[in-house]
Amino acid sequence: MRVEVNNVDKHFRKLHAVNDLSFTVEPGRVTGFLGPNGSGKSTTMRLMLGLDNGTGETLFDGLPLAKYKSVTGVVGAHLDAKFFHPKRSARGHLRMLGAEANISKARIDEVIQLVGLSDVARKRPGGFSLGMGQRLGLAGAILAQPKVLMLDEPANGLDPQSIHWLRDFLKHYASLGNTVLVSSHLLGEMQLLADDVVVIARGTLVAAESMQAFLSRANSKSVFVRSNDVVRLASVLSMNGFRVEIEGENAIKVIDATPERVGEIAFQSGVQLSELFAEAANLETVFMDLTASGMDYEIGTPIAGHDSAVIRSGESL
Amino acid sequence: MMPALRYEWRRLISIRSTWIISALYLALVGVVGLIPVFLNSTETPVQSWEGLFSTPGNVLNAMILSVIAAQTFGHEYRYGVIRLTLSEFPVRENILLAKTLILSTYVIAMTFLAWAVLGVGALIAGSEKVNSDASGYTISSSDNSTQMWQVLVFGIGYCIFAMSITMLSRNLALGVTLPLLLATILEPLIGGLLGMISESVEPVRKYLPFSSAQAWVVNADDWPQAGLVFAAWVVGIYFLATFFFIKRDA
Repeated sequence: MRVEVNNVDKHFRKLHAVNDLSFTVEPGRVTGFLGPNGSGKSTTMRLMLGLDNGTGETLFDGLPLAKYKSVTGVVGAHLDAKFFHPKRSARGHLRMLGAEANISKARIDEVIQLVGLSDVARKRPGGFSLGMGQRLGLAGAILAQPKVLMLDEPANGLDPQSIHWLRDFLKHYASLGNTVLVSSHLLGEMQLLADDVVVIARGTLVAAESMQAFLSRANSKSVFVRSNDVVRLASVLSMNGFRVEIEGENAIKVIDATPERVGEIAFQSGVQLSELFAEAANLETVFMDLTASGMDYEIGTPIAGHDSAVIRSGESL
Repeated sequence: MMPALRYEWRRLISIRSTWIISALYLALVGVVGLIPVFLNSTETPVQSWEGLFSTPGNVLNAMILSVIAAQTFGHEYRYGVIRLTLSEFPVRENILLAKTLILSTYVIAMTFLAWAVLGVGALIAGSEKVNSDASGYTISSSDNSTQMWQVLVFGIGYCIFAMSITMLSRNLALGVTLPLLLATILEPLIGGLLGMISESVEPVRKYLPFSSAQAWVVNADDWPQAGLVFAAWVVGIYFLATFFFIKRDA
């Protein structure tokens, strides 16, 4: 099911939280929804689901959600790990969510087992950890096997094994032809998970394209070099106009270079290399470059010799 | 409509507090209504059938049921579950109607159970301990059915009022306490003050929601429109709450 977000816009008094946002989420793919804190990701998701009132529209296979007779088979949403009554058992919570579509008890037990909550299914979730809350939220979202899955920060609080499981599960879910939209701050994880990305900053669209196309936007391409004569190599490379950064013992990173050019200079200088490769473009680097001007909150950090300094994402100390 | 009704029914019965409050309500109605019966002597019984069956119309008893009414939206807003609910029911009128219907059905069921408790209790105590002659009421009197109908409507109205306050304020505690404060403290106080100020403004108290409700339940002769005034308040606040429920962000 194709999800089209058309000119979605939302104001909170003076704050323009979502600014005329339009993008498409394709079926059969996992789409990462990225943006700095306060960029409007959660608000956009709420607008897509009709939870917040704004302008614009979101169409699910050409229709707004309100036009579907039963919504649970269309979209499953997990918006927060703490959206449950603390005194209603995990199983009771899922039975309530499944009542709309008359979900069977067997399916509820199956989902509980799938997310690994079988041992605590009859317990009250008030004492659940953040990770367990995430599992319960995910269970609620997938209960009716919806064609569209929308998850807001589902990996927060999960341990590495659970994150790995979540990644495999979402990839599998999308491979069945379903549409998956996931917002996350864990950029490394998103690079492994998402096929497409939608990036916003200050409620405005920055990019909506495939992960590959997004990574190719990387401004600086660097080359990693290891050599026993790294000091001389660094000196020669600097003389050739390259910026060099130390990367530990006997290793340097050459900025804005290609492996071919670095290898050529090393050969001409008679420096023997033991390792040489182009560093892959990193989602975090590209994300920082593109959203640096869209940060809502500046980060203060202490630096030696200064009381404090303010850095913006994308800037170096 | 059926999916929304199923959802709301499951929401209501899947929390323990619903069962605890229901049991507490029946116990309280039983105690309040039956203590005078058990204390009555067979020669000069004081408690009448009319008084016995109007016990659920007592504000204190209605307040217990209003906790369930306030929880209808109060729990959902308090724990964020409203966002899950509304993502399943994007047409908000559907879930609101389902909640109203389930709440009304619950109040009706609880009131009938309360009458059953009172009736059985009175029969156990001995029906001769209930005064049948003083007011002309008997357990099967047709006048009794009017009284019971009024008690039933008052209970539903009180609970819808409490639910509406919770919808507007998104605050469970306010949904329970505001109707109670209005009925027991604020309105009597306002009525008293109006009487002290001038006789010409004193009739204003007849347009207050719970003063009129109580007058209607006891069939006060000088207050023939009391039922309509109470109904107008309930309908008015319900529509106001509905408007904001649909317009506001979840």
